[in-house]
Amino acid sequence: MIRTGTRYRLLAIFVLPALLVYAGFSVYPLLSSVALSFFDSDNGASTFTGFGNYVYLFTDPYVSERFWNALRNSVEFFAIHLVVELPIGLLMAALLTSNSIRKSRGVYRTLLFIPATLSVVIVGFLWRLIINPLWGLVGFPLLGDATTALPTISLMSVWQYIGIPMIFLFTALIAIPDDILEASRIDGARAWATFWQIKFPLILPQFGLIAILTYIWTFNGFDIVYALNGSAPGPNYSTDILGTMFYRTFFGSSGQVADTDLGATIASVVFFIILVTTAAYFVVLQRRLKTYEL
Amino acid sequence: MRSKLAPLAALTVAALGLTLAGCSTGGDAGDSGDVTTITFGNWRVEDQALWEENVIPAFEAAHPDIKVTYQPTGTDDYNAAIQSQIESGTGPDVIMCRPFDVNRAWIDDGYFDDLTSLEGIDGFTDTALAAWQGNDGNPYCVPIASVLAGFYYNKAIFKELGLEIPTTMAEFTDVLQAIKDDGKYTPLALGSADGWQLSYNVLDSIGPNYWQGEDGRLGLIDGTKKLTDPEFVDAFQAVSDLKSFMPDGYQALTYEDQMQLFTLGKAAIMPDGSWDVTAATASGLDVGVFAPPVVKDGDQRYLQEMPDQGVGLNADSKNKDAAKTLLSWLASSDFQSIYVDKVPGFFSMGSEPVTYTNALAQEFADLKTDALLTPRLQLDRLSAGTPPLDDNTWAVLQTVFNDGVSATDATSKLQTDLDSWYTPAG
Repeated sequence: MIRTGTRYRLLAIFVLPALLVYAGFSVYPLLSSVALSFFDSDNGASTFTGFGNYVYLFTDPYVSERFWNALRNSVEFFAIHLVVELPIGLLMAALLTSNSIRKSRGVYRTLLFIPATLSVVIVGFLWRLIINPLWGLVGFPLLGDATTALPTISLMSVWQYIGIPMIFLFTALIAIPDDILEASRIDGARAWATFWQIKFPLILPQFGLIAILTYIWTFNGFDIVYALNGSAPGPNYSTDILGTMFYRTFFGSSGQVADTDLGATIASVVFFIILVTTAAYFVVLQRRLKTYEL
Repeated sequence: MRSKLAPLAALTVAALGLTLAGCSTGGDAGDSGDVTTITFGNWRVEDQALWEENVIPAFEAAHPDIKVTYQPTGTDDYNAAIQSQIESGTGPDVIMCRPFDVNRAWIDDGYFDDLTSLEGIDGFTDTALAAWQGNDGNPYCVPIASVLAGFYYNKAIFKELGLEIPTTMAEFTDVLQAIKDDGKYTPLALGSADGWQLSYNVLDSIGPNYWQGEDGRLGLIDGTKKLTDPEFVDAFQAVSDLKSFMPDGYQALTYEDQMQLFTLGKAAIMPDGSWDVTAATASGLDVGVFAPPVVKDGDQRYLQEMPDQGVGLNADSKNKDAAKTLLSWLASSDFQSIYVDKVPGFFSMGSEPVTYTNALAQEFADLKTDALLTPRLQLDRLSAGTPPLDDNTWAVLQTVFNDGVSATDATSKLQTDLDSWYTPAG
């Protein structure tokens, strides 16, 4: 029997390498980015301004309009993922576990997962060609209309990442022991009832988890919008999300000086929004979901 | 859960990486023997081979005691990269300068040395130097290259339909209408998915003929003119009128799409910058270029000449003598003739004549004859605050094309936004 003191020392030694890497490359940059947001380095020298950058971000008429616009768009981007990607992912996962395709299950699973392995640049390029009014399938300028542009981009992203909730829920579904399902069959439950009354409640914690992961991914989203529309995503900023606004502010553009402090401020606000929502979700919802010992 | 915040942290790490990248390349100031190595920071990633194979060897042959390292950063990250490198004391010795407001901010922050006494700087006119002057009126960067904008046209289509090159806006509309009536080709290869090109290649190309080039541009800067004045509203109206000649679904067509449409020979005319002379002729089409038409017959013609690249001296450089030698050489016609020859579509800003071997580039250069030159409207002083007139024009022009906003509403929105922060320098 190892004494408690030694045990903790051993534990520390095992944890230390990962902790150092995590602290050095994840925690430190995050904290220094938050710290940066409290400074103003406009005229060469960096001066402490407290919440000056935050006040500016939320009160300047032009900058705050851009920020609220980006936040609204991020919410819409997330909402479309939530109502389209998760249900379809669930449906695909349920179909994959069905016995009628047992032999070709691997093929379907691979096919459905392939888009998630593609680069966003390729996905954006492919879809841009498919919906191109000149040589594509759709005559309507989907990406050129302020009302359809963001839903279009969101659906491209859904198309690409549909495989992730699918695989996630699929693995949860196949982990359900056969004897439970057999018991329900003996009790006379049909497929529909089995799914909604036996399987779904059992995978609900995983479903909640993938929903909150989708939230984090979409609020940190940037690449698909940037690949399609650049860092000032039009038309008229209708596809501007928090990630692209951060990028534009932090890195500047050919005609705009890079404002690293304001960029860090936006990054900190995004971090805070995600942190609070995620924490609230875990405290309020995830804990109440029943988990069953199988 | 915490690790799910990694994407956010990664962005911060990227910023840190930029600083580290600066350390590794900017810090090698030490002499090795008698050879001084200087670094040249710039955003022309695509010109790396040209510089390393043609330009730098020519310089090093003339100055065997100096070696030059070409150190490019992608144009989107360039401003942030240079700013973080200089602020941490690891900037390159010579730095490529953005034109106008970004550079003026950098000069105010003490990034550059004054180049008034640099050998060769007097070979440039004040107009050529204007884009890189500080508030004190002194030059801070050696002008390297400018770009022009005009209308590319497909000579075969013009011949087939019996069209002449238009010189007035009325003739221009007639030509576009004739191509549209014929129905075989798209009159104008232009899409509005990319806001910047509506501004740089259309408004700033046609517009100077309406607002009389520098008169209008400097008028906005000193406050004697407003964007709501008739000459500006008319220019926006002329741009808006092009809508009926653009391809179907133009709202979602990108800059790349329109180039494809043109090079496939499906469109007759394409407004674009001179930097695309190689791309526009890549498919072997017989392409010509004409100047933005004047408003009425007999009007003075104006042409956009946009200063694009200058090179300045890092105030913290440890190799200033070697760096100045390079800058003087960049100011000489030795360099200019190598450069404009190897990068067709970019034009020398020196006073000495330079010939262009690329026929289309020469045709572009010929447009300057008899024209008064003017840079893009939005970039000098009017983009130094928030919202910058530059970015704002991109977005507002998109609403003109995609949402049917009128020229009057567009110009009054731009003027209102400008008034919210800009105090005329008059």
